[in-house]
Amino acid sequence: MSLDQTDQDSRSASQQPVQTANDKAVLRARDFWGALVLIAVSLFFLWRTSFIPLWGENRAGVSGGDWYNSAALVPLGIFTAMGLMAVSVLVTSIREGGASRALSSVGIGWNGFEAWRIVTITVSLVFYIGALVPRVDFIASSGLLITALIYGYHTGNPRRMGIAAASVMLAGLYALIAHFPQAEWNAPHDDDMVTLVIWAVFTVVVLVQARGSSVMKAIPVIALLVPTILVCAMAFGFRQNVPNRGGLLFSQIEYNYYVNLRPLWRDR
Amino acid sequence: MNFVLGQLAGFGDAFIALVADPVTYIYLISSVFLGIVFGALPGLTATLAVTILTGFFGNKVPLDYALIALLGAYVGAIYGGSYPSILLNIPGTAASAATAMDGYPLAKRGRGAEALGLTTTASFVGTLIGTFALLIFVWVLLLISQNIASPEKALLALFGILLSGTLMSEDLVIKGWISGMIGLAMAMVGLDPLLSEPRYTFGWSYLLSGFQVVPVLMGAFAIPQIIESLRMGGVAQIAQLKGRIVPKLGQVRRYFPTIARSGVIGTGVGSLPGVGEDVAGWVSYGVGKSVSKEGKTFGKGSLEGLLSSETANNACIGGALIPLLVLGIPGSPPAAALMGAFRINNIIPGPTIDPAIILRVVAIMVLASFTMFLMGLFTARIFIKILKLPQTVFLPVVMVLTTIGSFSVGGGINDLYLMLGVGALAYGMNLLRYPIAPLVIGVILGGLFDETFRRSLFLHDGNLAVFASRPGAAILLAMNVGLIASQLGPVKRGFRRLVTRTKGAS
Repeated sequence: MSLDQTDQDSRSASQQPVQTANDKAVLRARDFWGALVLIAVSLFFLWRTSFIPLWGENRAGVSGGDWYNSAALVPLGIFTAMGLMAVSVLVTSIREGGASRALSSVGIGWNGFEAWRIVTITVSLVFYIGALVPRVDFIASSGLLITALIYGYHTGNPRRMGIAAASVMLAGLYALIAHFPQAEWNAPHDDDMVTLVIWAVFTVVVLVQARGSSVMKAIPVIALLVPTILVCAMAFGFRQNVPNRGGLLFSQIEYNYYVNLRPLWRDR
Repeated sequence: MNFVLGQLAGFGDAFIALVADPVTYIYLISSVFLGIVFGALPGLTATLAVTILTGFFGNKVPLDYALIALLGAYVGAIYGGSYPSILLNIPGTAASAATAMDGYPLAKRGRGAEALGLTTTASFVGTLIGTFALLIFVWVLLLISQNIASPEKALLALFGILLSGTLMSEDLVIKGWISGMIGLAMAMVGLDPLLSEPRYTFGWSYLLSGFQVVPVLMGAFAIPQIIESLRMGGVAQIAQLKGRIVPKLGQVRRYFPTIARSGVIGTGVGSLPGVGEDVAGWVSYGVGKSVSKEGKTFGKGSLEGLLSSETANNACIGGALIPLLVLGIPGSPPAAALMGAFRINNIIPGPTIDPAIILRVVAIMVLASFTMFLMGLFTARIFIKILKLPQTVFLPVVMVLTTIGSFSVGGGINDLYLMLGVGALAYGMNLLRYPIAPLVIGVILGGLFDETFRRSLFLHDGNLAVFASRPGAAILLAMNVGLIASQLGPVKRGFRRLVTRTKGAS
């Protein structure tokens, strides 16, 4: 089966409405696990709700009031209803054969290519939001993400997806390890430099492999212009806070804007 | 009659004030353009357009301009979805799914330009019908809504969540309800509205103020879309476009009854809480198929089929704004994003809303529909070129837009973590075919439900009869119970038997 076919198959499995009997069987098998997770979540939150006073307990000598005043009342109803509805989904799933298919990979519609695609995107997004955006210059981190995502997913090549996720993860891991505490997020620029170097190397790789592809050739332009324009519009146009103001590139832009550029029209 | 004339005069004043302001045009043209682009690119949706622009304009420019940007994008995106439906057989938005049924066969026969021209006209007329209904009915409902108290508000919020769950679910209806319950549960996080009791904060001070609406919207609508659509980007095969796009007047006159009927249906469906443009399109298409003389040709390239869905989905916009402005209950997922914009501007839609805002919304809608009409007729070929852009190029850009938009509204990195978490949840729900719209509506209405439900009990010493003793509350309670009962197996079977017997007897 070609890669294109695999991609088309995976698309039909997850994007289109429930159509064939097999789609429905796969969905019921997934529903089995989904319902179990929902029941567990409902039970957990029902337990957590028990921490909120319900029956007029005294707090610091003050009566908590009657049951109908309690902050636990509505959550209690919500999680009970959610749990009961999850049981209903579980029963439907078991009745329609979902439980018997739930333990096999074929039964739940496992698709290795699709799983790899989702895992690599998730890794890229988690490291971008969780590690890079708080610690690293926004232009550099977003430029790296845009380069990685376009390069990794435009051709649908699993190897490229892995390279894309690894590059964002590498930059993110360095930032996380070197500057984990919040106090260090804005200060040193070594994580900015590491991200910038990874982005630059990645861009060279992309351009070498471009071979007549206009999309590949456009990646460096998009990756540089989009975050730069966005962050400048947000900071200087809308005067809003932007992530990592002290970042390597943005701090230079900000300095030059306020010291060299803005006086041109402010001092008139 | 005096009431209608008074309304039109108020609308006229708001319209002239907007038209006289040159800045209006900058926001209007750019937002409608952006909306059409978002609608036209498969993988981007109208909800996403309004959500992303909420991040950018929500609380950063004066409210009037923010509303122009958001409503312009909303109108443009719903219309823009028709481009890929007709030319690629891929609906640009869920609202245009029914459009592809007849649009693409027409384009394959070389009538793509004609289809686009008529679609543009139908979308324009549809938007105006919905807007006119908004202008008239919003005041009638506002008068009624001023008499509703906490019990009615609580039951109405619940009804909105349940109805959205019922109609937006493509698999089991109960999944829609669970999705709504998850949204309600998310709204419970933070200090409770009556006693300031912390709930489910797990010692994290950020959660004391509850989940912020914009990161939830961004997470629920943008992240799953990015994960789902970031696939191999091929160059789309666009059907050839021949002839003129501007439609012939005679043809518009011929199909005007279809356009008018679909406009009314779209407005009606839109005014139901939590039901979006896609449902409006399909309902109108279904009605059109059953009442039209051309019914048999629907799905094979019928202009009437095309106009049935395209008029209705745009008319739905005005309808969706009615419950939003009157009751604070969004009529569609993009209206939920609009609700987020109102909230971050400290405006609470509902019976206490400033009437001037409603008139400005109507004036903006009219201006946006004219802009969309002109752009659709005279710059359509630009949008067709944009269709060639692969989604692997614009989705990473959307991710960066979403990140900076979400960050700037709250100004904190925690909003981004929340966005990512909600995105992961929404993607998981997508995989299991749980609809996302009821979740968002649950988050938005959860606070209202919690506060009004408990206040009702508090004022009546815990007497649950308050939800049945007031006439309005009794009707709403019956609607809630009826909606739930209608989905129960024995009731469904009984209803089916009744229908069979009635048919047999007749």
